Amino acid sequence: MTEPTASSRLMWMLQITHRVEDMIIAVLLTATMGLALYQIVLRNVMGTGIVWGDILIRLMVLWLGMAGAMAATRQKKHISVDLVTRFLSPGWRLVSEGLTTFFAGSVCFTAFYFCLQFVKSEYEAGGLAFGQVPYWVCASILPLAFLIIALRYVIQFALILARRLKATP
Amino acid sequence: MTATILVILLILFAILGAPLFTILLAVAMVGFYSQGIDLSAVAIEIYRIADMPLLLALPFFAFAGYVVGHSRTSERLVRLTQVFLGWMPGGLAIVSLVACALFTAFTGASGVTIVALGALLYPALMQDGYRERFSLGLVTSSGSLGLLFPPSVPLIIYGVVAQQMGVGRVFTIEDLFWAGLLPGLLMLVLLSGWSLWTNRRMARTRKPFSIRDALAAVRAAIWEIPLPIFLIVGIYSGYLAISEAAVITAAYVVVVEVFVYREISFHQLPAIMRESMVMVGGILLILGVSLAFTNYLIDAEVPMRLFTLIQRLVSDKIIFLVLLNLLLLMLGAILDIFSALVIMVPLILPVAVSYGVDPVHLGIIFLANMQIGYFTPPVGMNLFIASFRFEKPVAELYRATIPFMVVLLVAVLVITYWPRLSLFFL
Repeated sequence: MTEPTASSRLMWMLQITHRVEDMIIAVLLTATMGLALYQIVLRNVMGTGIVWGDILIRLMVLWLGMAGAMAATRQKKHISVDLVTRFLSPGWRLVSEGLTTFFAGSVCFTAFYFCLQFVKSEYEAGGLAFGQVPYWVCASILPLAFLIIALRYVIQFALILARRLKATP
Repeated sequence: MTATILVILLILFAILGAPLFTILLAVAMVGFYSQGIDLSAVAIEIYRIADMPLLLALPFFAFAGYVVGHSRTSERLVRLTQVFLGWMPGGLAIVSLVACALFTAFTGASGVTIVALGALLYPALMQDGYRERFSLGLVTSSGSLGLLFPPSVPLIIYGVVAQQMGVGRVFTIEDLFWAGLLPGLLMLVLLSGWSLWTNRRMARTRKPFSIRDALAAVRAAIWEIPLPIFLIVGIYSGYLAISEAAVITAAYVVVVEVFVYREISFHQLPAIMRESMVMVGGILLILGVSLAFTNYLIDAEVPMRLFTLIQRLVSDKIIFLVLLNLLLLMLGAILDIFSALVIMVPLILPVAVSYGVDPVHLGIIFLANMQIGYFTPPVGMNLFIASFRFEKPVAELYRATIPFMVVLLVAVLVITYWPRLSLFFL
């Protein structure tokens, strides 16, 4: 039996995180749907409703959106304009991909830093979003998502560099 | 000077294919920075997504659309429209238009109409004796037909973006759906009329209406037929909020496709959920960062300046609308519909309102133009999807879609210069 290489171990770890992410999305979507249905039934049949239900559902949509955005980064499915790359030669396409990935990663790291500042200041302020749930917990998805998105761009950038190095020995 | 270089650099990154949300995010951050605002304002703006109850509709309609796209609903829909409309002269062309409009309204113009319905309709059209170029053009241009009908997600996004601007009169998403009804029907009628006229010399193989076939088709689709009826009645009667309709739709569709038709296995659901949330995430992230972007634009009084600039050049509402149509057609070919909405609506809406254009009417104009953009050369998305699906060179599709584009342009002109058509029910 051969010793697993560092890169194969890394790939394995990445795949585990992808699985976990997919599961989180499925569970979140199902839970949001369940809660929203429950609210509709309560409202229309019983004439009541959970007071903080609507706020929670809206927050879950934010979390779902950010989780989806993380997954979109890994599948390179973010909305982009992309007018010229299809007319470039493979070599230039790689250069352009490298540039834009580096740019995207830097922007997301900056966003991560300032979202973290925002969460920190909310933590210190100690406000509550609903019930006993503090505001900063709800907002923590923002730095988390930007961090993961930024890291994914770093990985993609590294892969592009590796391909570039392989192409020019 | 630095600002100009920065703008050029960002535009360069954008056309090289950098994710659009990173471009908008960069603009917002640089803008906030230059105005001395703390950059965590960006986080506050993105967090506002959680303050928009309407957005609840987005994940559920998207998920429902993906579930429908993965099941064999398309086959049942074609069969159903065929037994009820196929007996007419030029029936199959009209069948294709109606089926595509319904399917696109439901699944969003994500190209799934071409992949799922086009694959059924294209061979059927050819077999019926329609010319190849006509058939290709029809299935390609129908991939975005139906954007004006409920529960079209782009129309909801227009409402969300326009509402948070607080410009012009207040309106609801239901108003938008009412407004889209007649313009959407106009497009269907014009396209049907043109299809009949251009194929008038074709040898007709009309299928007589058969009550037995009709009953069989209805029986096959019996679980899905209530859905559009429920949606249309629920939304247009005002009995259901859009988000409630979305939740119920998603739950119903899952039950029907997984447990009744059993065309999607339980194990497939997580993957379908992920796929749909990838789309939702892409849209929500762009919407979130565009809130920051818009905030910066308003702080910097960009729409105001834009208006004074345009007013110096254009004093007439009609000329403004002509220019607006040209701009939107161009944008539609370059940008996808969601980016166009979140970037352009904050800029255009205040200007258009100052020229006396109703915000609801503007939404319909906007989407009607964008719909054509889906198959406008050189980069209309549906051209590439159709080229891939039907294994035809893109250049052939450019030619095939031209007549359909001309017909839809006529529709867009009518929609733009006859506001009554959109505002009839309001």
